[in-house]
Amino acid sequence: MSNPVVLNNIDHKNLRVITKRGESFGDNVMTVFSFAQEFRNLQAHYPIVFYKSEDGTSFQAAALLGLNEGENLFLGPDGWDADYVPLALQHKPFLIGKANGEMVMHVDMDSPRISRSEGEPVFLEYGGTTDFLDRMSSTLRAIHEGLEHAPAFSAALLEHNLLESFVFDMEHADGSHSRLSGFYTINEERLSNLDGTALERLHRAGYLQSIYMAIASLSNLSALGQRKNRSYAGRS
Amino acid sequence: MVREAVKHIVIVGGGSAGWLTAGVIAAAHCSASEAGLRVTLLESPDVAPIGVGEGTWPTMRDTLDKIGVSESDFIRACDVSFKQGSRFNGWVNGQPDDHYFHPFVLPQGYGETDLVSAWLQGHANLPFADLVSFQPHLCVQGKAPKQKSTPEFAAVANYGYHLDAGKFGLFLRTHCTEKLGVRHVVDHMAGVNTHENGDIVSLQTRSRGMLEGDLFVDCTGMQSLLLGQHYQVPFISQRHALFNDTALALQVPYADEHTPIASQTISTAQHSGWVWDIGLPTRRGVGYVYSSAHTSDDVAQEVLHSYIGQTGGPSGAAVPRKLSFQPGYRREFWHKNCVAIGLSAGFIEPLEASALALVELSASMLSDEMPATRDAMDIVARRFNNAFTYRWERVIDFLKLHYVLSQRTDSDYWRDNRQPESISERLRELLVLWQHQCPSRYDLSRVDEVFPSASYQYVLYGMGFRPQPRATLRRTDSSTAAHAYFQEAAALTRKMLPALPTNRELIAHIQRNGMMKI
Repeated sequence: MSNPVVLNNIDHKNLRVITKRGESFGDNVMTVFSFAQEFRNLQAHYPIVFYKSEDGTSFQAAALLGLNEGENLFLGPDGWDADYVPLALQHKPFLIGKANGEMVMHVDMDSPRISRSEGEPVFLEYGGTTDFLDRMSSTLRAIHEGLEHAPAFSAALLEHNLLESFVFDMEHADGSHSRLSGFYTINEERLSNLDGTALERLHRAGYLQSIYMAIASLSNLSALGQRKNRSYAGRS
Repeated sequence: MVREAVKHIVIVGGGSAGWLTAGVIAAAHCSASEAGLRVTLLESPDVAPIGVGEGTWPTMRDTLDKIGVSESDFIRACDVSFKQGSRFNGWVNGQPDDHYFHPFVLPQGYGETDLVSAWLQGHANLPFADLVSFQPHLCVQGKAPKQKSTPEFAAVANYGYHLDAGKFGLFLRTHCTEKLGVRHVVDHMAGVNTHENGDIVSLQTRSRGMLEGDLFVDCTGMQSLLLGQHYQVPFISQRHALFNDTALALQVPYADEHTPIASQTISTAQHSGWVWDIGLPTRRGVGYVYSSAHTSDDVAQEVLHSYIGQTGGPSGAAVPRKLSFQPGYRREFWHKNCVAIGLSAGFIEPLEASALALVELSASMLSDEMPATRDAMDIVARRFNNAFTYRWERVIDFLKLHYVLSQRTDSDYWRDNRQPESISERLRELLVLWQHQCPSRYDLSRVDEVFPSASYQYVLYGMGFRPQPRATLRRTDSSTAAHAYFQEAAALTRKMLPALPTNRELIAHIQRNGMMKI
């Protein structure tokens, strides 16, 4: 459940936010949504894939963190095991909502990250914003802008027929097999067959670089498989 | 040197059979290119297509995909809803709780183990289809066979369509003429010009002179202008086996735009036949098909009106459209350089929607086996005739299976249907075998059977037929594998029910947004 309220320096004067990473904070997710502007930061660590929106009308980018529902292979005993935490997880417990027709910052008071004794303070003693809150605010802005551009990016990929579904078959250390399916990636052959006009349009819209980063990010798939196997080793 | 190469196909008749055949051939033989096979369709401006069969089999998905139409366009243009099989009401004994499903999805684990013995030993109180398949449960809840995000022509649960056959013909016509290079000639056929060997050289049209061709496809409906009237190929009546020869059809509006759209054809047994009920997005198509030897048109109309009244339709006395037909098929379907596809080849009552399925099978065999020269044609014709005589016989046996197993005694119609002389020898033999073994690939040995053996099982056990144990033990009799498959079917049911939209929701979504191709 969530209980978002408008953030203000009176009601939330003493609010602190726990920034540790862990299952108890809801970080055990297999995928997080993303957008083209974040690909540069993601591609060094995570496979970037696409999934279809529930109503089947568009595609959404995502960073793959695990290989099964509810599995995040970047969650270690000492927190997050990579240099970059995707924005879709970073921003919590803050979110953008509308109040009186304006976009304003909200905070989810039911989030397990909410505290009075532990974590990062949100406001300074006399009501000013902390650096932490400023960072959270710019994170939310980046997500908001990224998601605003996402439909156009999805439409461009579809227009050029660049997405294809893929499956990733794995044999695990314990001998079992599993198959990752339901996601889509860039079809490199169709990309390389695009004519100059199409490529120029993708480039001018700023999509071409993101497309290549998404392709390059797939080298992280085998690394993800290895993380999975290490998790078996750790269990036995 | 190529002797008398086949370069031009002339199709006569602009109903769904004609346009489907044109589409299948034109797509496979590059008719849009100069180098491809020419396809011309001659359609009379005087003759309205009959619009038979508003239900299809799942094969229609492949057919449409092959000829390159968009499923979203098709659904929008032809008033299409999804069909996941049939529900039979009142066929076994006519009691209020008498119903069973014949779903399109094969039983879980079909062909892997003996499901039937395990069903009888452990779950005999459950209907066979409800135990072995998730699909009847989807139908009961009015669920669609796919999600909003499922790509075109892909399925979560196997499906065919319910469609407006008139609109379907028009939709295919546009696609065939605009995309596939089929030439459309609107003119009346006034005569047939033949070669001295009996081949058709050309068709005489009323206002455009002669239309020459190398191979002529008769899609002229029940008139069977070329195969029946011109060549006088005899008609083999099946009235002794399947008595129905008349139908009264009506379009029934929904109570409002939220009324659920049934995800299966509903077939309800009546005194002297049965009522079909097909849910399209904008209306229901309802009709009573019956034996004119067992009841009168007036009584039939009362039966139809009473059914409509009982199922939420308006009680007003709309006058139904009457169709009369001779159940049966031609002694051969391909004669000289003429092949009949659709009603010109034969027609049996609409039970199990075999009409369009046979059109698809015919068009696809004709296209795959398209003779390159006149020399090859007689050989191909012989194979075609052999294949379709077999298929018509199987269709008749499969339909008859529904009747012979009924326990209804309320009329001569049902009693006569169980008379041994109305049942083919082959079906009588199968019924003997099935007393101790289940329908299998041994009973239906051809690659392209019209109905798979699973369909025979669904109907056989749905109709209350119960095989007897053998005198001796078999290893498969105590199969634990079967129980795992039953659990799999139940688990899939639990998983799919909340994840699938209703039939109406999905159709509304597709009409608004379409479906993706990936």
